[in-house]
Amino acid sequence: MSEFKVLLVDDETDFVVPLSKRLRKRNLEVNSASSGQEALDYLSQSPCDVVVLDVKMPDMNGIETLRRIKEVAPLVEVIMLTGHANVEVAIEGMELGAFDYLMKPVEIDDLLYKLQDAYKKKSYRPIS
Amino acid sequence: MNILTRFFKQIIHRGHNKPEDLSSVGELRKAFAHRYHNFKLLLTANNKALELMTNLENALEGSQSFGMSFVRANCTATAVNVFRIIKHLDELSPGKYTELYKSFKRIHADINSALEYRKTFHRSKLVLPIFEVNQDILDEVGAKMANVGVIKNTIGLPTPDGFVVTASGYERFVAHNDLQAEIYRRIQSMDKEGIEDLYRLSSDLQNLILGATLPSDLEDAILKAYQTLEASCGQGVRVSMRSSALGEDSSDTTFAGQFRSILNVSSESIIYSYKDVVASKYSLPAITYRFNRGIPDEDVAMCVGCMTMVNAQAGGVMYSCNPLNVRDRSILINSVWGLPKAVVDGSIDPDLFVISRNEPFEIIQKSIKEKRLEFVCFPEEGVCRRELTGKRRQTESISENQARELARMAVILEAYYGRPQDIEWAIGADGSIVILQCRPLQQLELPEIHENHKNSHRDICATVLASGGETASPGVGFGPVYIVRNDVDKLKFPPKSVLVTMQALPRWAPMLGSAVALITETGGITGHLANVSREFGVPAIFGLSGATETLTNGLEITVDADGRSLYLGKIESLLETKPSRKNLMVGSPIFEILKKVADLIVPLNLLDPDSADFHPGKCMTLHDITRFCHEKSVDEMFSFGKEHRFSERASKQLVCDVPMQWWILNLDDGFKQDVEGKFVQIDNIDSIPMLAIWEGITAVPWEGPPPVDAKGFMSVLMEATANPALDPAIRSAYSARNYFMISRNFCSLSSRFGFHFSTTEALVGLRSSENYVRFTFKGGAADLPRRRRRAQFVGEILEYFDFSVEIKEDNAFARAEGCNQEIMKEKLRVLGYLMIHTRQLDMVMSNDASITKYRQKIFDDINLKVLRLGTKQ
Repeated sequence: MSEFKVLLVDDETDFVVPLSKRLRKRNLEVNSASSGQEALDYLSQSPCDVVVLDVKMPDMNGIETLRRIKEVAPLVEVIMLTGHANVEVAIEGMELGAFDYLMKPVEIDDLLYKLQDAYKKKSYRPIS
Repeated sequence: MNILTRFFKQIIHRGHNKPEDLSSVGELRKAFAHRYHNFKLLLTANNKALELMTNLENALEGSQSFGMSFVRANCTATAVNVFRIIKHLDELSPGKYTELYKSFKRIHADINSALEYRKTFHRSKLVLPIFEVNQDILDEVGAKMANVGVIKNTIGLPTPDGFVVTASGYERFVAHNDLQAEIYRRIQSMDKEGIEDLYRLSSDLQNLILGATLPSDLEDAILKAYQTLEASCGQGVRVSMRSSALGEDSSDTTFAGQFRSILNVSSESIIYSYKDVVASKYSLPAITYRFNRGIPDEDVAMCVGCMTMVNAQAGGVMYSCNPLNVRDRSILINSVWGLPKAVVDGSIDPDLFVISRNEPFEIIQKSIKEKRLEFVCFPEEGVCRRELTGKRRQTESISENQARELARMAVILEAYYGRPQDIEWAIGADGSIVILQCRPLQQLELPEIHENHKNSHRDICATVLASGGETASPGVGFGPVYIVRNDVDKLKFPPKSVLVTMQALPRWAPMLGSAVALITETGGITGHLANVSREFGVPAIFGLSGATETLTNGLEITVDADGRSLYLGKIESLLETKPSRKNLMVGSPIFEILKKVADLIVPLNLLDPDSADFHPGKCMTLHDITRFCHEKSVDEMFSFGKEHRFSERASKQLVCDVPMQWWILNLDDGFKQDVEGKFVQIDNIDSIPMLAIWEGITAVPWEGPPPVDAKGFMSVLMEATANPALDPAIRSAYSARNYFMISRNFCSLSSRFGFHFSTTEALVGLRSSENYVRFTFKGGAADLPRRRRRAQFVGEILEYFDFSVEIKEDNAFARAEGCNQEIMKEKLRVLGYLMIHTRQLDMVMSNDASITKYRQKIFDDINLKVLRLGTKQ
């Protein structure tokens, strides 16, 4: 049994494939999407706990994707993970409700802790 | 029940006679868990933010090199974590601290504008012919091509004809492909910063540029300029393409040999060669150079000069002065057969002419070397390397008359620029001299000491391994030999070694950032590598033949570049004269940006939680916000017990043998079993960090206050009467006793013994990277000098036990992080011990003998009793 469900959204398959593998080994159920639209389509049909979202993607960028994810699946926690160190974009993401904004490269275990924290936050959320 | 306990109880239950409307204990439990999780996340973010601030502070010391990506990444991560802190505090007590967002926004906007690099946009033609180029448009064409324009149009010396693809052209190219954002992303995402990773990064970025397309207007402009050149210089004229980066060749940065020059290019290769030169902005030497000198990427717009190719019979480099000695005004010429490339590359030993600076330009020294090869143009395109045979090898590559004529030009150029020049020249097929480029010469101020010890080194009693060659960069260095023959050796270059190579190739430059000295078998002191070694202050001897044979890897030697000798082992007397290595970061553009943003992040202004200024609106820096939020979050967690009549989560008194009162608030899973009523047994505590502190507290019984001399006691009395804040009755209940807030992995302890106040906060668990301990210690009853000395005293002890310590006035701050659970527990035991045994030591802090005595007792206790606890269990 996996701990919880994660969706990786990134257009770089070289990054996504090995990361999915490593997270699965750490007992998470991992799916991936290679664009913002694909992520939204996935979320509208399948339940998910935490999304890991790249900021710089062609077509729909990460910030726009985040905005729409919060519309279609407000309970999902989103962690931005990017090679893009930009204070402005980072804070915009945080204001839109991202759980955290991490910069590549990230240690796998640090990412795992963030995922666990985000999931825990989701499950503690008071019913309103 | 004593008065304090009653007072405390009142605080907890004050005004809350009606229980909360939460329908069940389960709901309340869930609400509490939610709050506690937010609190924990806040603490993690707080800890992370403080760690990042420490990174920034360390970088401000200027002893390490860093790029813009370091500054951006640290600022971004700090801003994100501080934002999270505010958000988690807002979840802890919704709506109460929203003003923080305003302060954050203000500071965040300032940080953004400090990071937003003042990028000047260039708005001129994409391409300019050389006859339109002069000093005034240096920012459009780069220093190298501006100089060529000046030499041709103002000074009137011969240069090739041609044109420049301007900074506007470069920006057009970069913008067309949105290259800059992608380049930053790749630099940021780089995994490590070993030379191997830099290699990969360098080749990735260059491929990115080579794969990009030129916008059609730029391509058209370049091809049109070439057609115009053909009209005046002949159909199909070959050209050279040279970098002329902005900022290159300014007086204190050389950029020597980092960028590509492509020689003998035919018309169909012009566009690709343009990209190739632009791509060399990300050559390995260029990346490491900018990194070491703190130069932002944006500052280096790559202009490219395109000039008719001189099919040189001979060429070389000359210096209008001696670069190693400001007092020597003779002119130095290095020359070779064929293109000057062989001198610049350091691939062969060039002829050397030293010429007196006045008419009739007398030749002071002439040293004709054995020239193994020459570079010549292929008929179609490109350059070939040709072995030299027969007499030509030993024949002088230029005549004495040509040497004098060159010297005359050098004097004219120096006179025009008003400072010594480094000049590349060629002699065409028809025997006429052409100036290819000219830039300020890096001259070294030699301290007197060098002159002195030049004479004294004969007295040194040591084995001379080799001597000879030429001083390419002065100084003395010591370290193990490392011979680099190829790029694989380069990857393995161990820092702080003596770099030994056959040739003085520019591609060895990236190792100079970490080499202690440089020795080459061939190469002249006018080459690129010599330039870079002088710039980085790396002692260098060039042309020391046989060095790669004589020396072996790992052999420890002292390189005396001034005395041109290598000694076996470490020669202290020579090393004493060694000037400290140049600090190239301080004052660089990136360093200035860091200073600006760090000013908005690092300083802490909100010191006193009891002051009226301890207020969200008064937060001037991100550190202020973290400080404020941390203080409030602890208060908020604590007050949960007040707001909800919830016995499960009310504070309990600890039942123990230590004759002090200890109160415990269980945040989550800090008890083994739920506790009804007012008391909890130590056996029921399940908090890892609390138990470790407790072990330290109880390890050695306290012997009571130290015997105080009369002065110490008077100082206590004076202070107590003069300072009402020291009256314990005025302090809030929270600080008036020893208070633990715990969960299994977390513990926050505020403890107050009379006037002595300390807080310990720790997160200890299996996530080693998140583990931390923070400890503050302040106050005391004695006067300020004694309290300061005690803070110093405690700080020294903690430093010994591997805490990072900072002392401000009578405050000691200590922290440790990222260690595994067992090490963290040891640290907490030390803290627990110190909390008990250092109180009231301030009173004896004027007497050196007693300080020594107490220090010894404390070390003995900790080593023999406190730290033994861990091994016993």
